[in-house]
Amino acid sequence: MQFTKLGLLAGLALGALVAATPAMAQTVVKVWSIDGIDRPGIADTFSKEFNEQNTDIQIEYRAIPFDDLVNETLRAFATGNAPDIVSFDNPDFALFSSRGAMLDITDRVKASEIIGKAQYFEGPLNSVSWDGKLFGVPKYTDTIGVFYNKDMFAKAGITEPPQTWAQFAEYAEKLTDTANKVYGATFSAKAGEEGTFQFLPIIQASGGGYKEVNTAGAAEVLDLWKKMVDNGWASKDVLTMGQWDSTGTFNSGNAAMAVSGPWEIDRMVEDAKFDWGVTLLPTITEGGERSSALGGFDWGIMSTTQHPDEAFKVLEYYVSQDNRLFPEFGNLPARGDIELPVTGVEKKDAALKVFQEQLQYAQPRGPHPEWQKISKAIYDAMQAAMTGQMSAKDALDQAQATIKGIVG
Amino acid sequence: MARFFNSMRDGIGFDLILVGAAMVFLLALAGLPLVYNILMSFQQVDMFTLGDLFRPLAGLTNYVAVVNAPEFWLVTKNTLIFVFTSMAGQFVLGFSLALFFAQNFPGAATIRGLFLVSWVMPGLVVGAIWSWILAGDFGVLNTILKAMGIIEAPIFWKSDPNFSIWAVVIANIWLGLAFNMLLLSVGLAAIPRDLYEAAELDGANAFQRFWTITLPMMRSTIGAVLSLGLIGTLQQFDLFPALTEGGPANTSNVAGYWAWQMSFKLYDFAKGATISVMMFVLVLIASVVYVRSTRHEVRG
Repeated sequence: MQFTKLGLLAGLALGALVAATPAMAQTVVKVWSIDGIDRPGIADTFSKEFNEQNTDIQIEYRAIPFDDLVNETLRAFATGNAPDIVSFDNPDFALFSSRGAMLDITDRVKASEIIGKAQYFEGPLNSVSWDGKLFGVPKYTDTIGVFYNKDMFAKAGITEPPQTWAQFAEYAEKLTDTANKVYGATFSAKAGEEGTFQFLPIIQASGGGYKEVNTAGAAEVLDLWKKMVDNGWASKDVLTMGQWDSTGTFNSGNAAMAVSGPWEIDRMVEDAKFDWGVTLLPTITEGGERSSALGGFDWGIMSTTQHPDEAFKVLEYYVSQDNRLFPEFGNLPARGDIELPVTGVEKKDAALKVFQEQLQYAQPRGPHPEWQKISKAIYDAMQAAMTGQMSAKDALDQAQATIKGIVG
Repeated sequence: MARFFNSMRDGIGFDLILVGAAMVFLLALAGLPLVYNILMSFQQVDMFTLGDLFRPLAGLTNYVAVVNAPEFWLVTKNTLIFVFTSMAGQFVLGFSLALFFAQNFPGAATIRGLFLVSWVMPGLVVGAIWSWILAGDFGVLNTILKAMGIIEAPIFWKSDPNFSIWAVVIANIWLGLAFNMLLLSVGLAAIPRDLYEAAELDGANAFQRFWTITLPMMRSTIGAVLSLGLIGTLQQFDLFPALTEGGPANTSNVAGYWAWQMSFKLYDFAKGATISVMMFVLVLIASVVYVRSTRHEVRG
């Protein structure tokens, strides 16, 4: 009896303590992303604002360099220290969502007044879906097109930008001016995600996809890429240059055409001392099917979170600020219901129109839990063909065999 | 009791403490990771078991998959080329420089000291600098070679599959040269002068003196330099991401970088571990050869 009395007292005291705390309690939501390392980015800016506006939920934000993000999250997840919210590059998202590491937010999104499935472009939405369920929301998106130097085009007597890859190669030859160190074209066929990013659209336009890469059309364009490099219409360095370096040679007037994306626009407006424009990625045949790469990041809540409701509120806040993505950070929202404001910079506005049109054709890489291996098979094939180790067809056949072993 | 403490201060106990400390350190920081790595290469590893010790066993499937990978033989060939040409280049040039600076001319010691600058620099910085020197269209080396009339068209050191591995070898030789030179200089300085004087009196020419005195006297130093060179070259990592990232088409990919790609780019930690185990076996064989070759020598 005495014992229970004591226990009761202790219980009461404890209860009083616990009851007293919620008034002060703050839920801490941990958010990881690559933003805010060298300059203010989306996640760090919005998180700071959120913390100023809210007292019950506070975001603990951590910026992680791009190269470490997936590894760091894998390790944290394995040891039970995963963040509540994380932002991945879209091809990396399925690595986590397919294995139950991300929280299924299908029903929460259905009930939400801020986030709606219908507002997003199909491609970005696919990258956060797995098995018919929604595991995240697109953060922002981008894609690729062809930048071309209008002054050089005029000098070479070319009036219209290239429509097919055959034309692209033909113009590249015409525009090449070895004496003045001008290559006809530049692109990125690097052994890495950027290489796959630029080549996969061609596979898709030829009727294939990441599960079927050895199409006749893809082999044909790969041969054209090799021809451009072999003949000196494009620098041999396209095999090792990333898109940023590759487009740098365009900006300095050393290449007449460049395959790259909207993230180049601001630098180009500053650096390029010539008239330039953007056109859609070429097709394989005249008037043939269009395709493009889908870039950009996604948001997701990790399944290990202790505070799913609070985390979703944070997510809703981020999404509610989507209309600021372009004016403040230069990123394109992954949704069709946001009108991009006119910047007043003529070339930039014209370029953005093209990229927004191109976005309709953008398809995600994957989603597949082992995307990195599929991607390697694709860029390995591309490099093997372009260095002459194998014919384009054999290289793509080998990639197909590897990919078949992965996707089953 | 007093005897016990006495032996701790000066005696068998003291020796045991010293040996024990080294053993604990070795086991904890080298032994355990090694065993863990070997264990991992026989397991299935994914993100849910990343933090565990006991995971589903995979038997030899990781090894079979690594050997059957299309790039396996290319990577093996590149690793051998990279290791042996780097070591040969570092050693021959390092030895030549050591001999050169062993001649007592004014400023020899100072200039030799300056050579160490290359060894002090981090690999990533060296890689970035060589990346500019070896750049295809606007590289310094191509400009020089062209001005001298040696080449007509630029050589794409980093992007041409015929040259990419040599780009890394050149940078690695430069990076390891000073270290080789320094160790060999120390060895040279330890050879007694009177040996050379006696040989000279007997009429031995410079080549004979080198062949019959310098080389044999340097045997243990050379062995140490070569084995350290092997280890240093196999663990060379920084130059690869800075120069070629193993490309194009894996033509400059070596085992160490490939293992890193497997683990941290493709997130296939088991295969990354498998490649490391294969490298470990290679180093083990080399160490056995080294130990056996120097076993009979009398060390002073």
